[in-house]
Amino acid sequence: MNPESRITNHVSRITFDVYLVGVGGQGVLSIGEIITEAACQKRIPVNFYPIKGMAQRGGFVQAQIRLGREVTGANIPERGADLVIAMERSEALKAVRFVKPGGDFLLFGHVWAPTAVMLGKADYPTPEQVLEQVQEAGGRMHYLDPERLPLYEGVPVPANIFVLGAAVGHTGLREVLGPSDVAQIVQTKWTRGTERNVFAFQTGLEAHPSEGQVTR
Amino acid sequence: METRLITGNEALALGALHAGVRVVTGYPGTPSTGALASLLAMEPDGVHVEWSTNEKVALEVAAGASWAGQRALCTMKMSGLNVAYDSLISLAYSGCIGGLVIYVADDPGVHAGMAEQDSRGYACMSDLPMLEPASVAEAYQLIQSAFELSEQVGSPVFVRLVTAVANSKAPVEVVRPDPPAPFPAREGGVPLSASGRGRGRGREAKLVRDITRFTKAGSAICIAQHRDLLARLEKAGQIIGEMGLDRLQLAPPHPSPMGGEREGGAGGLGIVTSGVTASYLEEGFEIAAHLWGRNQVFSRNLVSVLKVVAVNPFPAEEVRVLLHHCSTVLVLEELEPYIERGIYVEARRMGFAGRIVGKLDGPFERVGEYGVEQVVRGIGAALDLPVPEGLFQGDEAAEHLAAKRPITVCAGCPHRGTFMAINRAIRKSGYKKDEVMVTGDIGCTILGMNPPFHAIWTEVSMGASVSLAQGYVHGGIETPVIATIGDSTFFHAGIPGLINAIQHQVPLTLIILDNGWTSMTGMQVNPGTDEAFQQPGNRRVDIAGLIPTLGVEHFFVIDPFDLDEATETIQKALALPGVKVVLARQECAIQAMRQGIRAGKVRVVTENCNLCKLCITLTGCPALGIDVEGDTITIDPVLCYGCGLCAQVCNREAIERVSESASERLSDKVSE
Repeated sequence: MNPESRITNHVSRITFDVYLVGVGGQGVLSIGEIITEAACQKRIPVNFYPIKGMAQRGGFVQAQIRLGREVTGANIPERGADLVIAMERSEALKAVRFVKPGGDFLLFGHVWAPTAVMLGKADYPTPEQVLEQVQEAGGRMHYLDPERLPLYEGVPVPANIFVLGAAVGHTGLREVLGPSDVAQIVQTKWTRGTERNVFAFQTGLEAHPSEGQVTR
Repeated sequence: METRLITGNEALALGALHAGVRVVTGYPGTPSTGALASLLAMEPDGVHVEWSTNEKVALEVAAGASWAGQRALCTMKMSGLNVAYDSLISLAYSGCIGGLVIYVADDPGVHAGMAEQDSRGYACMSDLPMLEPASVAEAYQLIQSAFELSEQVGSPVFVRLVTAVANSKAPVEVVRPDPPAPFPAREGGVPLSASGRGRGRGREAKLVRDITRFTKAGSAICIAQHRDLLARLEKAGQIIGEMGLDRLQLAPPHPSPMGGEREGGAGGLGIVTSGVTASYLEEGFEIAAHLWGRNQVFSRNLVSVLKVVAVNPFPAEEVRVLLHHCSTVLVLEELEPYIERGIYVEARRMGFAGRIVGKLDGPFERVGEYGVEQVVRGIGAALDLPVPEGLFQGDEAAEHLAAKRPITVCAGCPHRGTFMAINRAIRKSGYKKDEVMVTGDIGCTILGMNPPFHAIWTEVSMGASVSLAQGYVHGGIETPVIATIGDSTFFHAGIPGLINAIQHQVPLTLIILDNGWTSMTGMQVNPGTDEAFQQPGNRRVDIAGLIPTLGVEHFFVIDPFDLDEATETIQKALALPGVKVVLARQECAIQAMRQGIRAGKVRVVTENCNLCKLCITLTGCPALGIDVEGDTITIDPVLCYGCGLCAQVCNREAIERVSESASERLSDKVSE
């Protein structure tokens, strides 16, 4: 048994660390906000630490949520995250070293190609490469193909809320926050688009990501 | 009391309000920006809140308010403290009347660019007290303690946060700020009773005339002020002790965890830590207990801990008690070993024979953030316990496979046009790109160093572009020298450099990229921002009006969205003698779009597009893409600001500007 899992097993109260990555404009930080607010409602100690790149859209975005510790530093150690949520295929690779062996790695396989990739001047990782790296790090891959993003009234739902639903429905996060805890925040966070967001969350809850593979 | 989910910056803002702050000044700088920004958004009654021109100005405004008897807060990032330091050292000598708190945010790990400057050094250098919260909740409490301490001692007090605390969000118990209440002005130098807390806003302003305190007239006054300063720091130490800010927990006497008897009851591990590092201790103890056995080798109960909140003055008394009690001291201190060096001094004075484990003689380095890893490794090093290989060490191989994502300017950013025009003007003037120096400056304008522009060569500090350029000229560079700077940065520190260039008639071209906002830090108002967005009663200072009055003979205003004209003007400026100033002016696209404004509309004429990708290569605009079938360029209708630069670089007329009426028809079609 590796040292990390022994640590988790021994601690009596539940601590849960979530590492989020994606690019600006995907609503990565909103996922973090909702989890944080839901924890706060449940009186679970929480620290939410977002790091935005400089760009408004398309820049690297990262956030860390630490749940269950009364006093805690903001940074999750490498090989320490119980759950990684990655909203972009290439950015997912930057989170691999943070997943705890045996931890969940939820990947929404959206591709946001940097200019050099678009011009054919730089490589972009394949889904299989990401899977291989996650598995080498001991992470449990849960894959959501972007094609599976459901439509609501003919328009794709917000991907971040869909992915949040999948995280609550299919990863260790559900041990800490139940669907109703999170749904309540999804319902009240924005004044507009409530029904669309609730639909996105519900379909995410029932999405059943591909386990241990990166196909639909 | 109510629980609110707030950031460290917001906690400071709310704490300051609760402490009765009357004047709040600052200059934006990540990660400090959120404190003043949140106060501006709150529009608290009876509190003056402003973004000042630069940090030195901000500190002087705050100091004046303090000398008039009011509580004042000044906020800045570590780079700003360098700017403010000239006034700070003088203020340290003079002391303050109303509580004066300086909030400085450091950035270990360099998340926001610039340096891993440890501003605790400034507290040591200026002999000013500094408090360092370990968490968001502590930030709310400690800023209030800082105001009290400042008034009781009569000295400015620092509060220091690091990025991981300033930008973290956590639930905090806060009291709603008291309404302003009348409170008598205090006499200069007379300590205010602690009961005055929270009532400051209603305080009456008062003039105190005392040249022995508020001037530096002669060596006798300065020497006396220096003595007063040192006395104030000592008094601060006493008050901090009475406040119980630095917390020392001694473990009960026990046999050494490594076995064997301890001499005179001493022995065991002592840990000294401060700030954000302290917040990782309990997690580190948990991991240590699991690695090495809760009772056999490592026991948290047998570790003494000194948590240093007041990093200056040095907590000598607590350290001496700890050194008496422990045989090994582990110092967990992010960045510079200030506390550690202090411990060495005390250890020497006491004849401490044990080990001090840290940076000077231990596993740690002065670079980067501290986390739970350092706590566990430190305990391992201090107790000679093996740390399993690979613990906390993920494989970086994955990251190397990730696509590089260089940061570029936003879709519709006017700076894009200016960088493109600079590159074109250099080429059309008959120079190669690596023959013409283009100095850069702080803010969004520095993104000109990145692809696809690769236009900018240097980044030093606020305003440095203009002066650095002059040095290149005097140094013998005979090709044209160009300096680039943003509007807010120009106001902040660029003007003295320009005046220097004018006085010495240095041939150079200064290009001011004026988008009307302090954008990089999140869209703050600056002196040049449109009057409609200035606070009521404030006035706009127009750069276009300012430059000619300085005696600049060659002054041009360009529209960065008109690529040909902008290029031509810059090319013309490069050929002229003397100081040339080009003002490139268009509003920040993000801010314009928030007002529902777009520069225009463009669309792809698919049949003309041969997918040469010139538009993407030259503009790097995030709104441009390639369609799924890979046979034409696409334009993201949400991102596109309609600046038209892509249309101007296309040589096949495959991107065209759409007239207003046609664009309406287009949008009708889309909505169908």
